[in-house]
Amino acid sequence: MENNNNGHKQTFLERIGKTFPFLKRKNKSTLYLSDRQPLTPQGKIGLVIAHLVLVAWSIIIIWPLYQMVVSAFNGLQDGYLVLNRNFEFSLQHFEYLFTETLYLAWVRNTLFISISTALLTLLFVSFTGYAYSRYRFKGRKSSLMAILLIQTIPVFAGITAFFTMHSILSSVLPYFTRQMMLILIYSGGAIAANTFILKGYIDSISTELDDAAKIDGCSNMQIYRLIIMPVAKPMLMIIGLWSFIGPFMDFLMPRVLLTSPRSYTLAAGLFTLVNDFRTMNQPAFAAGGLLTAIPIVLLFISLQSQLVSGLSKGSVKG
Amino acid sequence: MRKYNRYLIDEIGNTYERKNQFLLDIAVLQHEMDTASKEEKKALEKQVQALKKNKKDHPYYKAYKAYQEEKNLFWKKLKEESRSFEKNLDKELSPSLKRYKVKEFEAEKKEGFFKNYLNLNYEATYYHEEAKLERKYYPELIFTYIEKEKKLADAKEQRQKLSAEEEAQAKVRFNEYKQEEKQELKSSIASLKKKRKDKLISDKALKIGKKELKFRYNKALTLKRLESPKKANRELIRTLRHEMKERPKQLKKTLNADIADKRRKIPIEVEKTKPVIAYSTFFLPGMGQLLNKQFVKAGLFLVASFFIYFAAIPYALGYGNYQGDGIAGLITLAEGAPRVYTSMMFLIEGILAIFLILIAGALYWISLRDIKAVEEKAIVGIRPKNWFETLENIKHEGFPYMVSFPALFVIIFIVVVPVITTLMLSFTNMNPQNQSKFSWIGIDNYRLLVMGQGLAGSVFWQILGWTLIWTLVATTFAILIGFVLALITNHERIVGKKIFRTIYLLPWAVPAFITILFFSIMFSPNGALTDIISNIFGERIIVKHSTNLTRLTLIGLQGWLGSAYVFLLTTGVLQAIPSDLYEAAEIDGATIWQKTRRITIPIVLFQTAPLLITQYTFNFNNFSIIYLFHGGGPFNPSRYGNLAGGTDILVSYIYKLTMVNQYQAISAAIILFVSLGVMFFAYLGFRNSKAFKEERL
Repeated sequence: MENNNNGHKQTFLERIGKTFPFLKRKNKSTLYLSDRQPLTPQGKIGLVIAHLVLVAWSIIIIWPLYQMVVSAFNGLQDGYLVLNRNFEFSLQHFEYLFTETLYLAWVRNTLFISISTALLTLLFVSFTGYAYSRYRFKGRKSSLMAILLIQTIPVFAGITAFFTMHSILSSVLPYFTRQMMLILIYSGGAIAANTFILKGYIDSISTELDDAAKIDGCSNMQIYRLIIMPVAKPMLMIIGLWSFIGPFMDFLMPRVLLTSPRSYTLAAGLFTLVNDFRTMNQPAFAAGGLLTAIPIVLLFISLQSQLVSGLSKGSVKG
Repeated sequence: MRKYNRYLIDEIGNTYERKNQFLLDIAVLQHEMDTASKEEKKALEKQVQALKKNKKDHPYYKAYKAYQEEKNLFWKKLKEESRSFEKNLDKELSPSLKRYKVKEFEAEKKEGFFKNYLNLNYEATYYHEEAKLERKYYPELIFTYIEKEKKLADAKEQRQKLSAEEEAQAKVRFNEYKQEEKQELKSSIASLKKKRKDKLISDKALKIGKKELKFRYNKALTLKRLESPKKANRELIRTLRHEMKERPKQLKKTLNADIADKRRKIPIEVEKTKPVIAYSTFFLPGMGQLLNKQFVKAGLFLVASFFIYFAAIPYALGYGNYQGDGIAGLITLAEGAPRVYTSMMFLIEGILAIFLILIAGALYWISLRDIKAVEEKAIVGIRPKNWFETLENIKHEGFPYMVSFPALFVIIFIVVVPVITTLMLSFTNMNPQNQSKFSWIGIDNYRLLVMGQGLAGSVFWQILGWTLIWTLVATTFAILIGFVLALITNHERIVGKKIFRTIYLLPWAVPAFITILFFSIMFSPNGALTDIISNIFGERIIVKHSTNLTRLTLIGLQGWLGSAYVFLLTTGVLQAIPSDLYEAAEIDGATIWQKTRRITIPIVLFQTAPLLITQYTFNFNNFSIIYLFHGGGPFNPSRYGNLAGGTDILVSYIYKLTMVNQYQAISAAIILFVSLGVMFFAYLGFRNSKAFKEERL
């Protein structure tokens, strides 16, 4: 790091080394050993500033999250979050969450909706993506355009109709709950965009694979099952993952469609801990938020490279 | 004029002589007419007329009539004969074997009969060829079947004879063998481990080596296990059973394929020159297929007919509706209906009815086209496809339709129908006064919005303005933060890149509703951040009480939330930029700023542009942050009326109008505005996207 052309500075350092032996660097060679150019003084200042900026932003990110963790465990508060008082470790908010609220039911609901949405989306999309990528059929171009158009329509465009449609459907099928309607809305809304993403991905797989399989006597279904699905697995995983996470993050649709607290998803349920005066308990919200966030954060950190590549590959997704 | 071609043409363009002399005579005359002069034409015309008139006296026609009678007799006789043949067969035979034998017998008879009429008619030719093929394949089928049956019987017999002693011996042997193998496996694994310890191989090699050894061990055991007579016998029986099931299937498929091949090569002759069946039976899909003698297909289309006449049309006429009145309900919108009936229900059921009718229309069309195609082909000389061929066709060409049908179904009923409902709703007066019964009012809602009038419309332009500012500023802010952070973090001299990257991922990974709600708590009058801000400025500042401060805070919060995504995206692109670009720039003496401006920014922007545009779309519709932070507040009735708050954007306003205040109609009109806006952004996004451009053809 030291500039060996600067003779004056060197002698100064050597002098320091003589007076204070512990400051003297061991084996201090005058040779500059790096393939990077030595830094100028401005460069050094810049580097320090850059680090400061990064650290500052890290603090900005971490401080609120840290506060959330602290308040989830702080036993010296009730009903409202109090951050300035002393801290006493306690699990009472978690206890409250599990005994006094419907947290476990919300987790169950969310998992049910997420998993069903992911599976249903994958089922629909894997077929449409394959069909649009590999087959030239009548109406293909025009339906592709229609899909493009449809994927731009925001899901909430139909909110007024969903309610009534559910009552019509449930009159025909008595077991058709609002949660199932939600699943259909999520997966139906995801078909268009994901079809495009998957189609793009399968397009990049060489058709030689299918041709070889066809020569060996594979039917279309077998090609789909034995060739396309295994090769397209990375993209399918990303699509599945996003469809899975969607219901965890979404707040609007459950708020519109689900009416009883017992059927809420996590987002809608935890909101009642903050918003509704009868059930208000902010520390319990912090606790619930923490419990919800941890698995998702771990998932994101462990899969970050795949998620990012999924983002840039599916460049049509909104 | 009805014209006959002199030759018959099959699917691949081969020509065949006509065998129907009557039609051939007409065809010849008609052919001559083409080149004849006017008078000759008239004479020829007369000849044709005469021919047609005296059809019954034509020698060919007479022969044909005789053939028809003979044929009918033959079919009847064949039926009886094969029945008695079946009776005389050995009673012990299995039913499928009996069936094969009957088939073989019938094929022989058929071949004998149709041989006599080869010159008369292509139908006879076809039957003859078919019988020939059947005579080729059925004996083979019978032979394999008997052979396998015998083997199976032998194997079963052997099973009875198996001695317990041998079995026990085999078991002892197997156990010995297993011990040996286990020892060997253990020693091999130990030696592998030793190699790893001596650092001769890598961890991965050890893992794979272990796996391989275990696989080999299991395989050896499986093989050895078959030395047990009992097990071997069981396996044999299973294999034979499987073969008995599969082999005939395979042979039959080959036979069918060969027959299909003959069908393509033997033409058909018909007297008609226009697809009469298609047009006369279009009202009942399935009928025409029946007349074309495609029975399975006819069955399927009859199901479609059933759907049309017992579901779609009655529903559209108002029968079997939940509440509504079919398509008529769209006009009346439950006017005059009982109190509990709602206009909304009538509207949606009307739209559903329209879709059902559209589907019915599509079915009519498909059926008509199918019958017409079959008939037109038959006129040229192409034989209609049998079920085997049709099925193959569906499996190949119909595949994409079949597999995307469920998706299409869901899209229509979950996306398209609700969107159309919203569209129609925007032309009604559904508001708090007219909740259950509303009526059509034309474009009044749009007029109110554009003019900024009415309770709900008066704040529309203000909200739209803030929505646009919000979208632009908040998104750009987040993109800037994310981009700058990514640039700095990816600089080669920065220490601790990994830690920073993981930290910067957090705002994206923690579900947004949690962080937003937590920030909302901290910014509340008693919240931690309110205290901190008050301490800094020395006076009590409550963000949530001021519209402008809340807006600023929201933008900052979106910067906090949205930058993570941009950071990740940009990092991905930055890492993929080849370093020689920068090296070349350095050699040319470029400064850091120049490198960033000329290399980094263009590349990153180019690659992430479509995704960044989706960020704008996302924020345009970012309901969560607005609603969760302060419910769209603070409320300021003097400026924003009673329905909206100071930070409401269009989506949250729509939510409030629809779910809280029940101004559904005007909110539907706003939804249309918003959707058009979003579609515009989305169009910008995908116009340049790879998926759209590089359409593989």
